[in-house]
Amino acid sequence: MTAIPHAERRDSSVLRIKAIARRHWFVMVRSPHRLFDVTIWPLVDVLLFGSIATFFLRAEGTDVGRAAFGYLLAGILLWHVVYQSQISLSTGFLEETWSRNLLNLMVTPMREWEYIAGVVVLGLLKLVLGVGAVALLALLAFAFDVTDLGLTLVPIAAVLLMTGWVIALFVIGLVLRFGAGAEALAWGILFVVMPLSGVFYPVDALPGLLQPIARLLPTTHAFIAARSVLDGGGVPWGRLGVAAVAAVVLAMLAVAWVAAMLRLFRTRGYVTRYS
Amino acid sequence: MPSDVLVANGLRKRFRGVQAVDGIDLRVGAGERVGLLGPNGAGKTTTLLMLLGVITPDEGSVTILGNVLPKQRTKAMMDVGFAAGYLPLTERLRVHEFLRMYAEIYGIAAPDPLIEAGLDRFRIAHLADRLGTELSSGQRTLVGIVKATLHRPRLLVLDEPTNALDPDVASRVRTGLLDLCRDEGIALLVTSHNMIEVERVCERVVFVSRGRVVANGSPADVATQFERDDLEGVFLHLAEDHE
Repeated sequence: MTAIPHAERRDSSVLRIKAIARRHWFVMVRSPHRLFDVTIWPLVDVLLFGSIATFFLRAEGTDVGRAAFGYLLAGILLWHVVYQSQISLSTGFLEETWSRNLLNLMVTPMREWEYIAGVVVLGLLKLVLGVGAVALLALLAFAFDVTDLGLTLVPIAAVLLMTGWVIALFVIGLVLRFGAGAEALAWGILFVVMPLSGVFYPVDALPGLLQPIARLLPTTHAFIAARSVLDGGGVPWGRLGVAAVAAVVLAMLAVAWVAAMLRLFRTRGYVTRYS
Repeated sequence: MPSDVLVANGLRKRFRGVQAVDGIDLRVGAGERVGLLGPNGAGKTTTLLMLLGVITPDEGSVTILGNVLPKQRTKAMMDVGFAAGYLPLTERLRVHEFLRMYAEIYGIAAPDPLIEAGLDRFRIAHLADRLGTELSSGQRTLVGIVKATLHRPRLLVLDEPTNALDPDVASRVRTGLLDLCRDEGIALLVTSHNMIEVERVCERVVFVSRGRVVANGSPADVATQFERDDLEGVFLHLAEDHE
């Protein structure tokens, strides 16, 4: 019988994060249909909105047409920062429920934040791939260069990234509480957030009742800031500050929400749904 | 260093008005092999999941190697291995990738020699490059046990490890487990519906019925306590009583 060699062990968060990130890397490269979320759907979006933008530009040929062109393409490119960060984290967690892997993970020494960090690391790679692909298509097919936004792009993208993670944590909390029935929200919730965020238009264009809700979202302020830069109005640091504060507040709420749902998950023994 | 690897006191759990576990006390000593037995619905799995920190008890405490759950869960779980016959392997991973993932989660930075030795122990080294989905249920169980023992745990918890296995594979699992516990001094807590297997593997059995411990002793002593010839007879008696 083979004796087990001595195992050098240490309580290493880095190793655990690496293990989870690599696991999700294999999921991505060995599941071609997952690449639809990373590249195909985003490219289709850019093609659709880029074509609409071009139609406006040609039909109007005016300042309004030029503004619509920029709003539509910048809007859809930046929206995919929210989309990729949200989808990669929420479907990363859903992957564990689909493959009935939750119990296996929950009996290990891994802390919850280490798991989330592992999925987020791979999610950042997906973000680079996905947003890189749409930015390249926008440049090649529609001569729209998102880097024209300059360094403002960095804080705007950071707010959008954090908001995507916040939405994903909200979805994960719902799945912990309600099980598979809440899975559809991983994709569906973005269809609610997108119009409320004024991705392509000023918030004033929304029905009056929805405008106060829209102004609570960090994404709304991030897109306003992006349009301001496109219009040549300079960097609206105040607006970006509001977006950052809103994102941080929502992130704290999201973490508290997931922690509460995880406690409920353990108290009610919901793990048996996945074992 | 505590002599008991696992101490559970007064565990209680109620689900939607049903008392699933009703005051279970359980101890597992270092290197001891214990069977947790009982008919379906007796409260075995709920107890096991509370011992592992996956379900929070309504009352009671669980201490693993001196670490109290849930506060010291991470430290406690560093020395616990778990495998269940009903759990699939993580999808889209090859066997060696799956084992590497869990080795790293347990803090082993260079796990290759351990993976090789673990696969050899259960004579499944030829499966290293196979995807989890390409394995039979017996092969999956063996890989699951290798995963659970890679980090040399002090306590190995197995839920129905030989469930639905061919007799030859089940025999290989039993032999491998006995060797492992003997060679490494690992304590074993196992649930099973196969009483013959339990008699071969376990030094002590704890019978649970209606969420309570109704017997605790060596297989022979428990059979005597219930005036039955063997554990199978005790199990059937308790199952009838449970219905």
